[in-house]
Amino acid sequence: IWVNTSVQAGVKSRTVGRWVVLLWPLLLIKCVPLDCQDEQSCPSISQEKLLDRVIQHAELIYRVSEDSCTLFEEMFVPFPLRLQSNQAGYACITKALPIPSSRSEIQQISDQYLLHSVLMLVRSWIEPLVYLQTTLERYDNAPDLLLNKTKWLSEKLLSLEQGVLVLITKMLNEGMVSTSYSDPSLVQYDMQLDMLESIMRDYTLFNCFKKDAHKMEAFLKLLKCRQTNNCA
Amino acid sequence: MLIRGPVETRIKAVTMMKEIILLFLLFYMACGNTSFGPPGKPTLTNCRSPEKETFTCWWKPGSDGGLPTIYALFYLKDNSDTLYECPDYHTAGKNSCFFNKNETSVWVNYNITVVATNQIGRTFSDPVDVDVAYIVQPHTPENVTVNVMENKGWPFLRVSWESPHKADIRSGWITLVYELRSRMEGEVEWEEHFPGQQKTFNIFSIRSGSSYLLQVRCKPDHGFWSEWSSTTKIKVPEYFFGERYLWILIAVFSSLVFLILAWILYMNSRSLKNCILPPVPGPKIKGFDHQSLKNGSHKDSFNSLMIPEIPPNSSSNYEDLLVEYLEVFISGDQELSMEEGKDMQDFKSESSTCDSDSGRGSCDSQTLLTDKCKEVNKDELNKNCKETLEISHRGGLIYEDSTDTCNERVKTWPCLPQYASSHVPQMSSLKMVKQHCLSDTLLAHGSLSSNAHKHNESFTSTYWDFSLSNKQPSQIHPQTSKHLQAHSDINICKLTNEIHTTFKPIQYVEVQTVNEEGMVLLQPVESVQSQAEGCPHAHHREDYSKVKGVRNGNTLLLERGVTVTEGGMDWCVCDKMETSSNKERDYMSANTLKHQDASMKTFTMPFQEQKPPTANGYVDTAMMFSVSM
Repeated sequence: IWVNTSVQAGVKSRTVGRWVVLLWPLLLIKCVPLDCQDEQSCPSISQEKLLDRVIQHAELIYRVSEDSCTLFEEMFVPFPLRLQSNQAGYACITKALPIPSSRSEIQQISDQYLLHSVLMLVRSWIEPLVYLQTTLERYDNAPDLLLNKTKWLSEKLLSLEQGVLVLITKMLNEGMVSTSYSDPSLVQYDMQLDMLESIMRDYTLFNCFKKDAHKMEAFLKLLKCRQTNNCA
Repeated sequence: MLIRGPVETRIKAVTMMKEIILLFLLFYMACGNTSFGPPGKPTLTNCRSPEKETFTCWWKPGSDGGLPTIYALFYLKDNSDTLYECPDYHTAGKNSCFFNKNETSVWVNYNITVVATNQIGRTFSDPVDVDVAYIVQPHTPENVTVNVMENKGWPFLRVSWESPHKADIRSGWITLVYELRSRMEGEVEWEEHFPGQQKTFNIFSIRSGSSYLLQVRCKPDHGFWSEWSSTTKIKVPEYFFGERYLWILIAVFSSLVFLILAWILYMNSRSLKNCILPPVPGPKIKGFDHQSLKNGSHKDSFNSLMIPEIPPNSSSNYEDLLVEYLEVFISGDQELSMEEGKDMQDFKSESSTCDSDSGRGSCDSQTLLTDKCKEVNKDELNKNCKETLEISHRGGLIYEDSTDTCNERVKTWPCLPQYASSHVPQMSSLKMVKQHCLSDTLLAHGSLSSNAHKHNESFTSTYWDFSLSNKQPSQIHPQTSKHLQAHSDINICKLTNEIHTTFKPIQYVEVQTVNEEGMVLLQPVESVQSQAEGCPHAHHREDYSKVKGVRNGNTLLLERGVTVTEGGMDWCVCDKMETSSNKERDYMSANTLKHQDASMKTFTMPFQEQKPPTANGYVDTAMMFSVSM
C-alpha cells in the first residue's frame, strides 16, 4: 500500500508539474482591478463575457489549489495521514456558511443566492490564504513552487472577488456590496501547536480551499447555464 | 488507525447481533472444522459517481476464513458522528454499496469503512475518504452515429453522439469534454481527436473505399474519463468524384506528351538512325568502278584507275598518245557548234570509261566527237569552263588556259574535224582534253569560207588562244568582262561539213576586229574583206605560221612574221594583229587586251600556207615538233 500510494503521489506530482508548466505565465500576471466610478470612463464588457472570464478564473484557481494541495501533501504530510483529510478537530472554516451543498438544494436556489454564495466563499478565503503564506515560510524545506502558488492563489482570489462584485452589480442590478463576510472568529490559529498538528491543520486548510474552489466554479457554471438557458 | 472510538462501538453492537445469529447457525453445522478463522480484511476498491448525484462504492473481500462472512459498509459524513450504513447493497451488484440521490451530498467528505464479519470474528477495512465531487466518472457517450458526407467532392466522416443520459448537462451541473478516436479497419493504432464540449466532429483524413472504426468517451471537467463507447463501424464508399477530374487531366496530359514525343521521333527518325546506326562508309576511290569489279572484270576496273601518264602496258599503241589534230571549240548558235559542256557531261556520264579526272575530255574521242559535232547544239553561253587541250609532248598543240577558272561561258566541246584528207592521222584519242570555254562569244570569222563569214555573228566557235608569255591575265573587255581567249581553233566544225565537200586551203586568219560583243572577227589574210568597222590599215599581213618554240613544254610559240606595211602603233578600233611585235596586245577581247610582254604570242595558228593543209586550223604537229624539238 505504501508503494502504491507513493506511485500515485508520483503520478500526481507529474500532473502538478504539467499544470505548473502550462500555467506558469499566469503566475506572472498581475491584475489590477479598475476603479470604475462611472461607466463612461471604464471600458465595459458584456455580461456574458464577464461571466466567462470569471468562470475561467475560478477554474484556474481550482487547478492551482489542487496542485498546491498535492505538493503540500507529498512534502509534509506523513503517509498514513493522507487519506484522512478531515479530522475531527479541523473542520473546514466555511462549514458554518449557509451554503447549500446538495444538488437538490442548489437547483432550487436563485441566481442571486448563487452569486452571493460565491462571494461569501471568496471573501472567506482571503485571509486564510494570507495566513497560509506565512505558515509555509515557517517550514524548513517548503519548496518555492508551493510558496509561489500560494501567493498566486491569494492574488487571484482578490481579482475573483472583484469580478464577482461586478457581476453582482450587472446581473442583479444591485449596488456595490461592501460588507465583508469574513468573520474573524473563523480564523483561530494557534501558533503553539507542534509540527505535526500544524501540518495537519495546514493540510486541512489546503483541502478545504480546494473544495471551496471547486464549489465556486460549479456555482458559476450553474449560473452561466441558467443565464444562457441552454448548456446541452 | 488512530481514531475509531464511536464508530467501532457502534459497529460492534451491530455485529453482535449478527454473531448471535451465526452461533445459532453453527450449532447446526457439523463440527470438526478446525481451519476456521476470522475473515480477511476487505478493501474498498473504488467509489464512483456517474453524474455527481449518486455514487457507488465497491470493495474486495478478503479471505473468508472458511466461514460464511457478512460484509457491511458504514460511513460517516463530514466529521459528524452519525454512523450510517449503506442503504443499498444490491443495486450495484455484489460487494457494492449504492448511495442514492437523497443520501448523496456533494462537497461532503464521506468516511467509509467496510466490515467483514464471520462466525469467529470481524475485520475492518481501512477507511476511505470520499468526496463526491472528485469521483465523478460518467457513463459512456450514447448514440454514436457516423455519416459519410461530401465536401467539394471529397468525403469526410461526421460523427455525432449524445451525452450519457443521466449526466445533467443542461443545467450545467456537469460539464463534459469528449474524446474521439478512429482507426481504419486493419490498422492497429488509433487516431485521437478532441472535440471538446461539442457533440459532433468531422474527420477529414479518411480514405475512400475503406472502413473505419470509431469510439467516443467523455470526462467531466474534474473527474475521470469514461469508458470507450462501443465501436461504431462505417464503410466509406469509393469516391472517384473528386479524383475523377484529376485522372482525366493526367490521362490527357500524358497522351499529349506521348504524341509530341512520337512526332519528334518521327521527324528526327533519320538523324536518329544515323546517330544510332551510323552508316558505314564504304571505300570510294575516284574513278574506281565498283560495278566492273563486281562483274568480275578486275582489269577493267583497275584500268580506270590508272594514271594517264603511266603508259599502259598492253594494247595501246604509243602512237595513240599522239594527238594528231586539235580540237576545235565552237561556241555559239552553230550547227556545228561543239558540244556544250552539258553535253560533255552527258557524254561523260554515258561513257563509263570517261571521266574528267583523267583529262580525257573525249574518250574514243575521234568518233564520238564527230558524232557530237554533227549535232546541232545551241550555244550555251552560260557555261564557260575552260579546259585546256593538253596534247602530249609528242605533239599537238596545247591549249593553255591562262586562267583555270570556270567562267560562265560557253563550254564547248571540241569538235574534231573530219577530214577527208589522208593526212589526217588517225587520232585515236586525245589524252587530255580540257575544254576551253570562251568567255564570250567569239566570232569565228569565216575565214575559210565566205559562207562562214556570213555566220560570223553567230559564230563563236573560233577561238584564239592567246597565251601570254608572262601569263598575265589580260584585261578583259568591259563588255565581256572575261578573259577571252581566242583559240585559234578555226571554226573547223563549222566547216566540217564543208570541208568534207569542199576542201579549201587554209588561209591565214587574222583577227580583224573584235566587235562590241566581244566577238573576234577573223578574216583570212588574203581576203581583204573588212568588217563593218573597216580598217584602213587592215592590210597588214602577218604570218603566224612560224613556230618559234615551245614554251613550258606545252605551249607552242608561234612567231609572227611581221610584214607590216605600216609601222607604229596603229590602233585600230578593230584590233588588228598587225601591230608591231612590240605591241603587246591581246586581240582576244575587243580592244583592250594588252600584252605586256613582247611579241611572243602564241597562237594556235592557222596553218601556213605552205604547209600542207592538213586541216583547217590545225598545225601540223609533225612540223611543229620538229621545230621545237
